[in-house]
Amino acid sequence: MIVFFQACLNGLLTGALYALIGMGLALIFGVMRIVNFAHGAFLMVGMYVSYVLFDHFGIDPYLGFIAAGLFLFLFGQLIYRFLIRPVRDRSDFMQILMTTGIALILTDGAQLIFGADYHQVNIPLVNRTLRFGAFAATAASLLSFVIATVLIAGLYLFVTRSLTGQALRAIAQNIEVAQLVGIDVTRIQGLSFCLGIALAGIAGGLLLPALYLFPSVGDDYTLKAFVMVVLGGMGSIEGAALGGLLLGVSESLTSLYLGNQWALAVDFAVFLVVLSLKPSGILGRQRT
Amino acid sequence: MHCRRPAGLLGTLVSAALLSGLLGCSQPGGDSTRIGVITSLTGSQAAFGAAHKNGYLIALDEINAKGGVLGKKVELNFYDDQSKPDQAVQGVSKLFDQDHVPVILGSYSSESTKAIVPSVIQRQVPLMIPTATADNVLDSKSPWVFRICAGAGDYARTTVEFLKSSGAPKTMAIVYENTNFGQSNMRAMSEAAKAAGITLVAVEPYEAKSPDYKAVLQRVKQANPEVIYFCSYLLDAGTLMRQAHEVELNPKYYTSAGTGFAAAEFPTPKGAAKNAEYTFSVSQWLPESRWPGAKEFDAEYVRRTKSHPAYHAIEAYEALQVVVQAINVARTLDRATIRGAIRNLDLRSTPFGPIKFDANGQNQHPVMITQVLGGRYHVVYPADVADAKPVIPTPPWSQR
Repeated sequence: MIVFFQACLNGLLTGALYALIGMGLALIFGVMRIVNFAHGAFLMVGMYVSYVLFDHFGIDPYLGFIAAGLFLFLFGQLIYRFLIRPVRDRSDFMQILMTTGIALILTDGAQLIFGADYHQVNIPLVNRTLRFGAFAATAASLLSFVIATVLIAGLYLFVTRSLTGQALRAIAQNIEVAQLVGIDVTRIQGLSFCLGIALAGIAGGLLLPALYLFPSVGDDYTLKAFVMVVLGGMGSIEGAALGGLLLGVSESLTSLYLGNQWALAVDFAVFLVVLSLKPSGILGRQRT
Repeated sequence: MHCRRPAGLLGTLVSAALLSGLLGCSQPGGDSTRIGVITSLTGSQAAFGAAHKNGYLIALDEINAKGGVLGKKVELNFYDDQSKPDQAVQGVSKLFDQDHVPVILGSYSSESTKAIVPSVIQRQVPLMIPTATADNVLDSKSPWVFRICAGAGDYARTTVEFLKSSGAPKTMAIVYENTNFGQSNMRAMSEAAKAAGITLVAVEPYEAKSPDYKAVLQRVKQANPEVIYFCSYLLDAGTLMRQAHEVELNPKYYTSAGTGFAAAEFPTPKGAAKNAEYTFSVSQWLPESRWPGAKEFDAEYVRRTKSHPAYHAIEAYEALQVVVQAINVARTLDRATIRGAIRNLDLRSTPFGPIKFDANGQNQHPVMITQVLGGRYHVVYPADVADAKPVIPTPPWSQR
């Protein structure tokens, strides 16, 4: 039984990072309906920013992730203005092409600059294991979890309580009425996009101590992020967070009881089952 | 938008292609002999590719200092497969179809090597495999394919012999990466363990590049094996040992099929650091090996790179030496003659031990068992080449 709860704990710790990634995409895809196939690539950029800060300046990734987030927020302004805005109102296919292109350029650019080598970051926190009774977790993953939770809570409060956040949700509900009501849709969508990829970058920075770094590290996460967003319900940020936690726990339990090779398959199986029972996702509402 | 007349554009493209094709073809002959090398200079196996390259370059300088081959200097055409099998296959095409090399060395990993075997057989060019240990790379039994290192079968049999002679454990778990290297080493160990009466209590594949192997290790812990046999590359070896520490996995023996667990970086902070201590690994060679030239190779490697070589480097070194020797004996760059010369080689003392290829192209190379003690690899088996006694059982994590 202890083993079961330990696996759930591990799953939640990983799931919190997944939730960050998912919420980021929820802001972009769920709210803005921009099909962002470059989400994983932005995560990779965040990882590299953290890595460079660690390698050259000795800045701990648990501080560096802030810089990663800021960098991506500013980078996002440029990307949104020149690349995303022109395709914002076009067909999904155009957006897929554009964001896939961005992903390719970012990934190959990283390979050009940093090489295809894999890099690992070894900080003391990663080797420090904390034990609570029968349960254990590394100090690093606990810290990641705490940071991720704070960010998720902060984002949730922002989206539900602040005026900008409510404008965001208004756009997600019905874009024409939002415009009629006087919301500056372009500005809010830009903000949403930058915030979304900043979250991906932060998740990347927090993943750096746990995973190793290489140019195509983000590819798997793009797909998982879409699963989380749709699973959680389109337009629902909390849903995406829940989706992330659910995926984390399901992967951990699957690895424990069935074997690691089934984890990804079960992710998608869960996805299919939930959607067939509730097509709008866990916390989704039917769109008007 | 009107379409321009396609003929003009097509004509330009065709001429450009022809021109680049002509320019791309290198002239055979000239004033140096080119030998093709495929290895992983970038990508997940870049660390091993670098070891390869250093080994090849040391051999190259020695060979050219002695006059090269057939009176000409030797040049190596390196092709980087980026640790990807499909790129390795492209390398064969580039090295043979374009550069017309008479012989190819490589690649690094079992996955990439298995991928290039059909290509070299089809083109009838001799292939010398320096480090790929999966047994299936020699499945084709083609006379064009040779391997200088010992294979997965030898790894498994030697590990089992060592275990029988030091405590004779009864239960084992195999944890392996889900690739050609991992699967073939798992199969080899499954056979060897069964033949020796060791029960396999867990056989766990894992997908590489995951951040979290704790669930896999937890499953192994529940099976309570006395021995764990890992088949992993470097980065996963580091992560696995760190997380084994985290879940408090304490078998009596941590053994492995070399590779990640035998890389030069493994006992250092770039690898598993202190978590590497007490792990056993198979090894094909150590700098302290009592073969003539081993110490000198180690000294030269340290002079160039400031670190000691693992066996991957000397396998590359020896592969090139053997190939050049064969060309010198054959006295020609004709590929079939070179192939015959390699087959007939019987080198009694090289820095990598005796070299003789059997009917399948396999060199009969002895395997040793090493243990990380005090942050360094020490040979602990067989007794006649050991330089330290093995520490058994492995102290539990909480007591370290």
